[in-house]
Amino acid sequence: MKDGFQGLRLGKWMLGLLKQRAAGLFCFTFLALGLVSLINPAFLAWGNLRDIAVQAAPVCIISCGLMLVLVLGEIDISVGSMMGVLAASMGAMVSATRWGLSPWIAVILTLILGTLMGALNGWLIAYLRVPSIMVTLGMLTALRGVTEVIMGGTWITDLPPGIRYLGTGSWMGLPICLWVCAGVIVLSTWLIHRTPLGRRIFAIGSQPRAAHLAGLPIQRVKFLVFAWTGFLTALATLVSVPQLSVVDSGIGVGMELLVVTCVVVGGTSVSGGTGHLSGVVFAVLLMTMISTLLIFMKLGENATYWSRAIQGLFILGAILLDHLVRSKKSS
Amino acid sequence: MKTKWFSWLSHPESLLSCLTLVMLGWIYKEDPTFLQWEVQKELSTHIWETALMALPMTLIILTGGIDLSIGSTMSLCAITAGMLHQHGVPLPMGCLAAALVGLAGGWFNGWFITRLKVHPLIITLATMAAFRGIAEGVSQARPLSGFPKSFTWLGQASWLGIPLAGWLFLGCLALCAWIMHGHRLGRYIHAIGYNEVATRYSGIRVNRILLGLYCLSGLSASIAAILFMARRNTAKADIGAGVELGVITAVVMGGVSIFGGRGSLFGVCLGLVLIHETREFVSWHWSRDELNLLALGSLLILSVVFQQLLGHKRSS
Repeated sequence: MKDGFQGLRLGKWMLGLLKQRAAGLFCFTFLALGLVSLINPAFLAWGNLRDIAVQAAPVCIISCGLMLVLVLGEIDISVGSMMGVLAASMGAMVSATRWGLSPWIAVILTLILGTLMGALNGWLIAYLRVPSIMVTLGMLTALRGVTEVIMGGTWITDLPPGIRYLGTGSWMGLPICLWVCAGVIVLSTWLIHRTPLGRRIFAIGSQPRAAHLAGLPIQRVKFLVFAWTGFLTALATLVSVPQLSVVDSGIGVGMELLVVTCVVVGGTSVSGGTGHLSGVVFAVLLMTMISTLLIFMKLGENATYWSRAIQGLFILGAILLDHLVRSKKSS
Repeated sequence: MKTKWFSWLSHPESLLSCLTLVMLGWIYKEDPTFLQWEVQKELSTHIWETALMALPMTLIILTGGIDLSIGSTMSLCAITAGMLHQHGVPLPMGCLAAALVGLAGGWFNGWFITRLKVHPLIITLATMAAFRGIAEGVSQARPLSGFPKSFTWLGQASWLGIPLAGWLFLGCLALCAWIMHGHRLGRYIHAIGYNEVATRYSGIRVNRILLGLYCLSGLSASIAAILFMARRNTAKADIGAGVELGVITAVVMGGVSIFGGRGSLFGVCLGLVLIHETREFVSWHWSRDELNLLALGSLLILSVVFQQLLGHKRSS
């Protein structure tokens, strides 16, 4: 009898841990970190950790927006192509051989352009009621075409130092992209927990019909969330693309899949209504670490080709875990 | 009289026929050589794989689902056949293995959808990454080639002026048309799209039908992969990238409602013709592939917006 009780408690505790996706991911991330640093202590070098963080920052910035989209019960798979367009237009704006605008104006115009593209998505989805998967699938292709048109088959290699500073500069010892990422996380936390808009997003996601009957402005909230995602995509582009001196037309390819994976692995329910920012942040760290981990585990160069498969397995695992938690809860 | 005229026009198929005719007329005015039989026959080799995969996709979208993983299934199947061929297995066996892999991939999707009740969009997005990742890992992203002549012949042979792949498509189309119009399965598929719960309560084995449809989708992807390999004489992990977009665009342009329950195979064929001619003409006339992406993406969005607006008008 007592053993059964103990077993029940253990099961409950495990279930609680499963539900706390952030805690589980935290443990998993540190387990992976510990294992790899045992195999190869060079992994824990400050430079390497900073590189991982810098790699994760743009993914994290976009994930903060996409999480809200998924909480609403919608999806956005156009962020990668949006990044491509924004990178190309930013490059064309600042490049001396093209438009040669000052970096300040380019930054502002890029942010506006990103918001506008997100708003276009949002308008089609919220006001014309077109399913988000169709709109963003179309955008995924169309915007990649726009990128190619802007680039015109060449690379932009003359980014001025003013714009390069956004990618390579640092403030108080940390790269700028990390500051921006931290700012976005704080802002998103505030948005989710302290504003009516955050409450409304979760309300609409968990019970659209009830939210409608309660008089919530569903269309406006959806529109705003998609525009916000566009803005964050522009922000991520601004801090990540100038890290390299070259802008090509392949920037952002596959980004949408990475971001959706991070958000889903981070415990955001794909049917809407639930999601935790902390889980998403750890998922981003874990996902962006995969290829670096594979390199540092000294499995040979062949191992890096498996990183996409591992990414896919993580998302499958997250779906299975979601199912387990749900079926336990209902029984 | 006026309302009758409007209701005829609001059928997606009739609208699409008009659109196709207008476009072909415009193309004829711009560049008559494009519409010559020889040119069209040459260009038609590009569409058969998409067309073949569009058939199961139509049935899946009719049930209210979607399959985004077909492109990745294609690459996994191609790599399976290619790797087996490199290790000395005869190619017919390799193709059989590829077909089995395709079936297994489709079954995997279907199992998650019917047993775990995962939304098709999410699970096929996940397998889209997983399948291509496995193909990349297994092949180390290297191209595989050196297939025998008898195999590449498959990609070039034609009978009565139509390539073999075209005959295969026509056969599958006839089969699908029979299922949709001459068999109760077609009714069931429509019913699932209209109201899945009600269909389930009517004693129809919804899960079994859905599982079968996703398996069929995987199988069609493997056949498309084999056709692609025969045509290009190469297998690489990046084949079939973005092919799902063309397939879904054709189906949605053909008037199949993305919420399920409404649509016809005839419309899908028109949709295929329309996107094929658009794509080929853009590359032919302006010879710029990036415009193609732009055209295809905009076509998808416009057709869904149009469908949505029309649907509202009809219901109000």
